[in-house]
Amino acid sequence: MAKIVAAYGLPHTPFFPSRVDQEGPQSPTGLMFAQARDSLIAAKPDVILIFDTDHYNTFFFENFPIFAIGIDEKFVGPVDEPRGGMTVYTVPSAPKLADYLHQHTVRAGYDVASLREFGCDHSVMVPLHFVNPDMRVPVIPFFISGHVPPLPPARRCFDLGREIRKALEAFPEDLRVVIIGTGSFSLEVFGPRIDPGKTDGVPDPDWVHEVCRYLDAGDTDGLIAVSNEDRLHAAGNVGGELLNWIAMLAFTDNRKPDFLVKQMENGHAYAGWRW
Amino acid sequence: MSVYAIHKICRDVLRNHEFRAAMKSDPASAVAGHDLKPDERRALLAGDVVTLHRMGVNDFMMGYLARFESCGLNVPIFNERIRSIPH
Repeated sequence: MAKIVAAYGLPHTPFFPSRVDQEGPQSPTGLMFAQARDSLIAAKPDVILIFDTDHYNTFFFENFPIFAIGIDEKFVGPVDEPRGGMTVYTVPSAPKLADYLHQHTVRAGYDVASLREFGCDHSVMVPLHFVNPDMRVPVIPFFISGHVPPLPPARRCFDLGREIRKALEAFPEDLRVVIIGTGSFSLEVFGPRIDPGKTDGVPDPDWVHEVCRYLDAGDTDGLIAVSNEDRLHAAGNVGGELLNWIAMLAFTDNRKPDFLVKQMENGHAYAGWRW
Repeated sequence: MSVYAIHKICRDVLRNHEFRAAMKSDPASAVAGHDLKPDERRALLAGDVVTLHRMGVNDFMMGYLARFESCGLNVPIFNERIRSIPH
């Protein structure tokens, strides 16, 4: 049976690879990703499943699934020229397991789209760039619509995470699986609430603190209860990315994180759970 | 449908480098064949991101117009205009 061995919440700010290239691995961003990377490598995963919100690159307005899973031998990315530049990778995936998860989740009542021959943007590739060196570990991307209304309810994202967990734990192969949820808590990108002179802003820092209080306490139900759609949009036009963290929390059993570090200037955090 | 057409224009600015260059040097010609209503075309070519935002154009997609300096925009100009929307 597959075994869940760790879970992480990580940001995906597009210019972080170039920032760390310039500022070095000892920079604050470099060190925060290094903590997650070292923990992930020590967990010895055979496969990574990442919950992500695509930024109009894997999907577009002509076809916009609420939930989707990538099923293929590999995928490429980033496909969106992240600001500052970064390596374009070919990432191995795990199509047999992804197909199994697709079948299980749909039969359990979740309308999960499937896609093949796909690319991923910075939102998948930036965290992988930092925590999956040389893309050695196969990765399954699982997409949750977190930007464009209507958003799926937080409770449904969590329940979907639990269903995926149930399926993984019944998968008839010995695999060590790491879960990642990626996104910001409060962030506005190119919207009216950006900071002067910048392309983004953190309109609701209090929300970042509030989310982190729930994470730190292992109070997932409390976080879900306050994460309604209006609240997520109020935190910024990409505030719905918290849903990726909430799906990831379905694997943590309300444990307190081993580490949780806020990066307030970007409205997000880095967190890890090992067991 | 034409807000969708503007979204596609923004996406093409990211993906199609030839179109990206045209949208910087001669945007009126670049979108001449696109199915836009007159007020949408006017707002797009003027870099009027406030009007486009109010029409329902996605902020994130409009960011590509600023980043790749389409329709007279750049990041400082975009920033000043989009921030003028009451929030």
